This record gives sequence, C-alpha cells and structure tokens, in this order.
Amino acid sequence: MIDFQLVSFFVLAVATVAAAIGVITFRNAVHSALSLILTLLFLALFYLQLGAMFIAVVQILIYAGAIMVLFLFVVTMLASEARDTESPDRIPWQRGIAATLGLILVGALSYLLFTGTAIDASAKASGANSLSLVVKTQGDTQAFGLALFHGFAFPFEVTSLLIVVALLGAMVLGRKG
Amino acid sequence: MSIPVSWYLIVSAIIFTVGVTGVLIRRNPLIIFMSIELMLNAVNLSFVAFSRFLDSVDGQMFVFLVLTVAAAEVVVGLAIIVSIFRTRRDIDVDDMNVLRG
Repeated sequence: MIDFQLVSFFVLAVATVAAAIGVITFRNAVHSALSLILTLLFLALFYLQLGAMFIAVVQILIYAGAIMVLFLFVVTMLASEARDTESPDRIPWQRGIAATLGLILVGALSYLLFTGTAIDASAKASGANSLSLVVKTQGDTQAFGLALFHGFAFPFEVTSLLIVVALLGAMVLGRKG
Repeated sequence: MSIPVSWYLIVSAIIFTVGVTGVLIRRNPLIIFMSIELMLNAVNLSFVAFSRFLDSVDGQMFVFLVLTVAAAEVVVGLAIIVSIFRTRRDIDVDDMNVLRG
C-alpha cells in the first residue's frame, strides 16, 4: 500500500518548488504575484501536514490574504503605466553570475544538510514543554496561545510597536509632496 | 512511515535558493520583493518542521513573529516603491542610483 503521507509530501514538494520557480520566471509581475499566492497556499498545506493548524490558517489569512492583496494592488497600480517587458539588460554577465552564485548556495546548503548532526531524542522537549502533550490535552491553538502569552509576551508586545511604526512609515512615504 | 526532517529542510533550501536567484536576476523591484517573501517563507517551513520534530512550540512562535515582521516590511517597502515610481515614472533597479526623492 502506498503511504498517503509520503505521496502528499512529494506532490506538495514538487508543486511548491514549481510555483516558486514560476515567481521568478514569469515576465508579467501579475503572473508572478499569482504564482507566489500559489506557493504560499502550498506552504500552508505543508504546515497542515506538520500538524501546525494555527500557523497554516494564519498563513492563508495574512500571507495569501492580506499581504498578497497589497502586492496585487500595487502591481496593478504600477503595471498600467510601466512597460510590460523589462528593458534590455545593461549588465550582460548578471544572469551567469547569478546562476553560479545560486549553484554555490545549493552546494553549501546541501553540504550542511548532509554533513550536519542528526536530531536525536535528547534534543526533544519533554515534560510540560512537550508540544504533542499540550496538543493532546488542550489543543493546538491553546498550546500556541499559552506559549505566546507566557514565554513570548515581550516579543509579542514589541510586535505591536513595530506595526505602529510601519503604519506611520507608510503614511509618511505615501503622502503627497 | 514518517517523513524525516531533512526532507522538509531540503524543500526549504530549494525554495530559499529560488528566492536568492530571483533577487539576483530580476530587475523589477516588485518581483525582487516577492523573491524576498519566498526566502522568508522557506525559512518558515524550516521552523515549522523543527517545531514538529523537536516537539516544541517555539518554532511556531518564530513563524508567527516572522509573519508580522514580513507584513510590516511589505507595507513600508511597497510604499517606498510607489513613492519612487511617483518621482521617476519608471521602475528598474539598474536605474535607481540616487536616494534623493
């Protein structure tokens, strides 16, 4: 019998990478944005497969929803006036260098992945910190909320400051004159 | 059988590399921005995979904070791009060599 988890992993992996490559290869910025939405939705499915329900829903709501609406809004606003195609390249060796650097990065990352230390059982959280235990007794979102408002309360509050600064920055940059 | 954590890390590494390559080869700042989002999401996938395999909720917390920072970053970045477009009527990163508005 074919393992459903294994099959869904490979289908998702191929789909996600294909959509990600689409983001950087489409000539039209709107197509790139749609491809990015697809990538983000596939990643949300990955999160579901990994048991992170809350993160998957937040990914769809905030990333595929809010952030990408903002992206599409700006892309369509600028695309009506900008040229469809990019102007001819003034740095002819750019693509060759970029491909070389990308291959070096793939090599370095896979070297690290295949020579690094494997995660053993001693690294896992245990007792009250165990995620699976909290999820089993209380639920996934409850486990997330408990950690957010106990261990991560300060970063959470700093986040609100960051959002206010970003709001003000967008207003200052966007105003006329 | 359960899927080993390294497979998720490989997918994450591939998506991250695609994002890096996008930043290097594209000259439309909007698509460069989307490539940065790709890189952020590749790292998020690693975080969630580690959260699952280390049986700890901390990885998911980091993903949540990355999401928030990404939202703030997109808002400011798109405002900058719109403001550049308003003064120059053209968006190509090879032409952008002054910071003056």
